[in-house]
Amino acid sequence: MNSLDPRVNRLPAVGVPGQAEPKAPMDQFGTFEVFVQPRDGKPFQHEGVVHAPNLELAFVLAKEAFTRRFLCVSIFVADTRHVHVSPMTEGNDSVLNYIRDVSLQRSTKETYEIFQLPKRGKQHLQAGQVEAAGPEEAMAEAKKILPADKVIYNLWVIRTNDIRYTRPEEKELWLTLPEKKFRDASDYKGGDKLKEFLERAHS
Amino acid sequence: MYGGGNTFEGIKTDSLAQEDPVKLAEFEARIARGEKIEPSDWMPQLYRKQLIRMIEQHAHSEIIGALPEGTWITRAPGFKRKLALMAKVQDEVGHAQLLYSAAETLGKSREQMINDLINGKSKYSNIFNYPAFTWADSCFISWLVDAGAIVNQLANAKGSYGPYCRALDRICAEESFHLKYGHHCVIYLATGTPKQRAMFQEALNRWWAPMMHFFGPSDKISAHTEVLMKWKVKMASNDDMRNQFLDMYVPKIWELGFTIPDPKLRKNPETGRWDYTEPDWEEFKRVINGDGPCNKERLEVRRIAEERGHWVREALKAPKASYVMPLA
Repeated sequence: MNSLDPRVNRLPAVGVPGQAEPKAPMDQFGTFEVFVQPRDGKPFQHEGVVHAPNLELAFVLAKEAFTRRFLCVSIFVADTRHVHVSPMTEGNDSVLNYIRDVSLQRSTKETYEIFQLPKRGKQHLQAGQVEAAGPEEAMAEAKKILPADKVIYNLWVIRTNDIRYTRPEEKELWLTLPEKKFRDASDYKGGDKLKEFLERAHS
Repeated sequence: MYGGGNTFEGIKTDSLAQEDPVKLAEFEARIARGEKIEPSDWMPQLYRKQLIRMIEQHAHSEIIGALPEGTWITRAPGFKRKLALMAKVQDEVGHAQLLYSAAETLGKSREQMINDLINGKSKYSNIFNYPAFTWADSCFISWLVDAGAIVNQLANAKGSYGPYCRALDRICAEESFHLKYGHHCVIYLATGTPKQRAMFQEALNRWWAPMMHFFGPSDKISAHTEVLMKWKVKMASNDDMRNQFLDMYVPKIWELGFTIPDPKLRKNPETGRWDYTEPDWEEFKRVINGDGPCNKERLEVRRIAEERGHWVREALKAPKASYVMPLA
C-alpha cells in the first residue's frame, strides 16, 4: 500500500487486495449478556453483550467493554442461550399476570438469578435469587419475591451455575478506576490558558 | 461517535401497504406516546431495514474513524497525549462493539455486517476517507469531528429503538471526554508557537469541506423521510444538524483567532441561521462512492486485520457453540 502512514505501509501483504473471503457463520462467536454492579449493595444491571468464544473470555472482554470508567465493583456474564425470557408486556399490564404457577416434582433444586424490567426502554435489574427445579418454576418462584403492586414488564431467569461471577480476589480490577483521570473530561481544563490568550489578544 | 450524514435508501413507502394495519397503528401509537420499541416487539419491515442500515453505518464509522487517529498514538506529543489518545481510540472501537450488537438485535449478523463493510457494500462516515497529515489533523478530528458526531448522536439518542438509544446514552457519556480532550489539544496549538498555530490553521483549511459534508446533503422532504421522522428513526434534518454545529463551534474557532476558509460564512441576523457556500456535493458523491484519497486504504487495513485474526478465531472456536440473537 502507498500510504502517508508508515504503520500502514509496514502491514504484511495478506490474501488478495480488495478481495475478502466471506465470513463463515460463528466466525464472530456467540453472545454473552453482561451485568454490572456500580456499588456494593446496588443491584446488578444489564449493560449489553459481548461476542466471545467462551464464558471466561466473555468475562475479560466485558470488563474492557463496559467498565473502563464510572463506578464498578463487580460484573457477571452469562451465555445468551442460558437466559430464559418471559413475554414482554406494556402499559399497566404486568408480566406477572402471565406467569403460570408451576411446581415441578423433581427433588433436585438449583439456584436461579432473577432479573426484572421495571420500565420499558430501560435495562433489566437483578431482583434476587430463588430455588427451583427448572426455569419455568424459577419464574413462578420469582413471582413470590417480586412486589405485586409494581408493574413489571419482563422477566429473565438464569441458572446460577451458568453465570460467571466476579471472584473476591478479582474485585481489585476496579480499584484503580477512580485514578484513571485521563479518561475523564474533567482532566482536560484549558480554560485558564484560553483566558490568558484572549486577554493578550484583546490588549 | 462518528455517525454523521446518514444516507437513507430510497425504499418505496408502498411496502407499508403490506403491513398489518392494526399492528402498524399500535406501533405508531407506542412511538407517539414516547415509548421505546424493543427487539421482541412487532415492527414494520421498513423500520427494521432502515434502522439496521443506520446503526450499521454508525458502527462502521466508529471502526474506520479509529484508523486516522489511531496511527497518531505513537507520534502524539508526550506521554499524556499518548495516554489520552489511546483511551479515546479504545472508546471508539468499544462504541463500534455496542452498535454492532444493537444492529444485531434487528436480525443482521455481525459476520454479515463485517462482510458488507470490507466488500464496500456498506457505507461509513465519508469524512474518514480523508488523510490525517499532521498532529493538528488528529486534533481537528478529536475536537470538531467528534463535536459534529455528538450533535448527531444526541438527536438520535431520543429516537424510538430501545437498544440503539441505550447504546447512544453510553456513547454520549464517553464522548464528553473526547470533546474536552480535543478542545484542550487545539487550545495548546492555538496558544503555542506561530508554527503550531499555522499547523492547526492548515488542518482547518483541509478539513473544513469534509466537515460541511459531514451532515449530508439537504434532505429532500419526501413521504419517505416523513415516515422515518414520524417513527423517530431520523430525528433532525441534515441542515438543522449542520446549523446547530455551526452555532456551537464557529464562535469557538474564531475565538482562537483562526480563519474558516469560507468567505460567505456568517450568521444571518434575519433568519438566525448560518449562511455558507454550498458544499460541493459532486465531490461528496464521488468520494462516498469509493474515489476518495483514503477509501481503498481504510478497507484494506480492515481486511488485513480480519485476515490476520482469522487463525486466532479458528483456534478459539467452540465446536458446540450456536448462535442466538442478543436480548436487548
